[in-house]
Amino acid sequence: MHKKALALAAALTLAGGVAQAQQMVFTSWGGTTQDAQTEFWAAPYSEKTGTNVLQDGPTDYGKIKAMVEAKAVNWDVVDSEFDWALQAGKAGLLEPLDFNVIDKSKLDPRFVSDYAVGSFYYSFVIGFNPANFSGDQPKTMADLFDTAKFPGKRTFYKWSAPGVIEAALLADGVAADKLYPLDLDRAFKKLDTIKSDIIWWEGGAQSQQLLASGEAPIGFFWNGRLAALAADGMPVGISWENNITAADALVVPKGAPNKDAAMAFIAEATSAKAQADFAAKTGYAPINTGSPELMDAEVRKTLPDTQTGTQINADMAYWAEHRDEIGTRWYAWQAQ
Amino acid sequence: MLLDFDKLGLWKWILSAICALMALFLLLPILFIVALSFGNSRWLIFPPPGWTLKWYHDLFADPRWLSAAFTSAKIALVVMVLSVALGLLASLALTRGTFRGRAVLRAFFLTPMVLPVVIIAVALYAAFLRLGLNGTFVGFVIAHLIVALPFSVITISGALETFDPSIEDAAILCGASPWEARFRVTLPAISHGLFSAAIFSFLISWDEVVLAIFMASPTLQTLPVKVWTTLRQDLTPVIAAASTLLVGLTAILMIVAALIRKGKSR
Amino acid sequence: MLSFLSQGRRGSGWGMALPALLLLLAFFVIPVAGLLSRSVTEPQPGLQNYETLLGSFTYIRIFLNTFLVSGVVTLITALIAFPVAWALAIMSPRIASVLFAVILLSMWTNLLARTYAWMVLLQQTGLVNKLLMGLGLTSQPLQLTNNLIGVTIGMVYIMLPFMILPLYGVIRKIDPAILQAAALCGATKGQALRRVLLPLAAPGIASGALMVFVMSLGYFVTPSLLGGTSNMMVAELIVQQVQSLVNWGMGGAAAFILLVVTLALYALQLRLFDAEAR
Repeated sequence: MHKKALALAAALTLAGGVAQAQQMVFTSWGGTTQDAQTEFWAAPYSEKTGTNVLQDGPTDYGKIKAMVEAKAVNWDVVDSEFDWALQAGKAGLLEPLDFNVIDKSKLDPRFVSDYAVGSFYYSFVIGFNPANFSGDQPKTMADLFDTAKFPGKRTFYKWSAPGVIEAALLADGVAADKLYPLDLDRAFKKLDTIKSDIIWWEGGAQSQQLLASGEAPIGFFWNGRLAALAADGMPVGISWENNITAADALVVPKGAPNKDAAMAFIAEATSAKAQADFAAKTGYAPINTGSPELMDAEVRKTLPDTQTGTQINADMAYWAEHRDEIGTRWYAWQAQ
Repeated sequence: MLLDFDKLGLWKWILSAICALMALFLLLPILFIVALSFGNSRWLIFPPPGWTLKWYHDLFADPRWLSAAFTSAKIALVVMVLSVALGLLASLALTRGTFRGRAVLRAFFLTPMVLPVVIIAVALYAAFLRLGLNGTFVGFVIAHLIVALPFSVITISGALETFDPSIEDAAILCGASPWEARFRVTLPAISHGLFSAAIFSFLISWDEVVLAIFMASPTLQTLPVKVWTTLRQDLTPVIAAASTLLVGLTAILMIVAALIRKGKSR
Repeated sequence: MLSFLSQGRRGSGWGMALPALLLLLAFFVIPVAGLLSRSVTEPQPGLQNYETLLGSFTYIRIFLNTFLVSGVVTLITALIAFPVAWALAIMSPRIASVLFAVILLSMWTNLLARTYAWMVLLQQTGLVNKLLMGLGLTSQPLQLTNNLIGVTIGMVYIMLPFMILPLYGVIRKIDPAILQAAALCGATKGQALRRVLLPLAAPGIASGALMVFVMSLGYFVTPSLLGGTSNMMVAELIVQQVQSLVNWGMGGAAAFILLVVTLALYALQLRLFDAEAR
């Protein structure tokens, strides 16, 4: 029994011994994106406030819901998809943001709501390995879905989110301004035609790896991940034709333990400088209207906010409203 | 004839070939991961264009890896001590007790080993959310203890069964108290069982992924959780570097265990 | 067993089991029971979760996948493990100890490390495909990950030691004289194998197979890393329902079905093999 008592005592002291310095937790999607968020958002914030920012991930909506319901939240700021943030705000999963701390006058109004502000915005674009397509190179959504003309596995985002469904409809000939409300039957029918050739990517790093290793010579990617691959010296082809934009959001789960720190962190992360630095590093567009003037003109050319010609903005409000319904169908279809 | 290797004729070569292929199959991923950890391709292209120590450098430069390893070791040590202690008591009850239903109790003690870990993980996750134990050191220890305990019970009660309790009786006849007899006679005699139970419990906790994924919090992550999240998010060769170190550690532990056994048999 | 002194009177000794018993009650039995009860209470009381699970081909396919993969993994491990265990039992101890070291090293190497290695090895441009193409066995790279082939390879790798070790124990205990007797009676090697060695090793094969099968049923890590989305296994379904969809009812129902199958097989194993051991 002596041993047991000792061990128990040890267990208790260890559990109580967590560092007491002021700290908060920021959760995001990992990889090069979170590295940049750490470098350009968290580090300056910590320097200014002395608050240590712990990084966690990946963002997991189920976990947020479970934590909020159990009143055991340990994430303070979460990088989520914008449509999820809109829906979760309505569902009571999020804290309202404190706009006395966060200056919303400088933020792109498309990405501001009571419960969420934009984190950055990105485009889904067609990416491919030029070595695999020496003749014609894929350009349109129809090409992305044409396995005869462009053979090989293609990789798509695994989770139910704006992007892939729109791409399927565009490939099937739906006009860009007639996408919403989404015709799900038609979209899944189109996806069925290439289903056996799809490899799903779960996270940005996996998408990069699939393309770089040749596992999937073509696919539908977050533009920033392709930019990172190119910066790494990998041969990457990008088609911006009909690129579909969606945004990430910064949110505070209801009952977050360090709410004040969370608001201050969001204020820092959405400041012109932090957004500009982040955009330059990742290839994602800033949501602060003051950021572009701080950026190098050459760098700006590779960002989604300069690729507006055939660009399509995914309808966040539509997605927020139909997220569950689409999700249920999406996962059932995937599992079939 | 079938149990004499040299009289097997042609079959001897077939069996040898199968063994060689199996050894190759078992070694391939381990050797591969070592090679991968020195390759300089960020995107796991193999064979890599060149060689580098960058991933080891990254590994040691990132304090989260070290702190995860440290957390794992702490949890595994506490689990090891508790698992052996509880396992010893339970085994004594199972092998020395005279109460009814011992077979049922034994089967019950082993169920956490049989039941898919995923069920235990999800169930504990739900319970711990309510108890506020999620993401705590105590929660981790309890979760790992549940799955480690059956292995302790098996190895310790196995050792107890081969030990003749009349030796304990003799000690008592010579004037020792029953507990004294247990501590000074029985325990040393089954020390190899306790030792294996300790090693098993440590390794089970050290290596455990599924429970840990559910128990982990931003402030408390074990090494497997760190590997798992990195695998899902980053896929960087840093994982190969970490894995290589783990393989090395396993090999060293095995050699140490073999040396101890050798030393004993002499 | 003449131990009257240390054992005390009849009915004693259960107190020592109490700490472990309480631990398991509080943190194993009650949580698992709680999970299962949610399958019939959430979102509303009733059996609708089971109806959804067993009434749709989507979910039935997940169960079929699980049984299929577990069955194939069990079969392949048995086919490899029998000759290996047989050879181990009779070859020179020095070579055998080298093989044992290899088996133990792979068994104790971190599970994620091994699975990670297979993820990279099996991809289209991976070493295995390059090897197969180099040998002229295939002209196109084969799809070996993100499907059940990958899961099967990864699981066979993990399960092999669990089959080899018990089988080795059984074969080692077989008295060579029995096989000599068979030879004296004029049996050929093939006959001796079929009619003497295999039947004698059968209990070992059966208990190893049952163990591998049961372990495979509930496996999570390998299927989720090497498998594809369209070929889920039950453990993945449970985690998806609980973690991503926060649908405790469905997660609990899937867990309950898995639990019943597992415990039934465990009971079978206890009956079959414990009876023998006594």
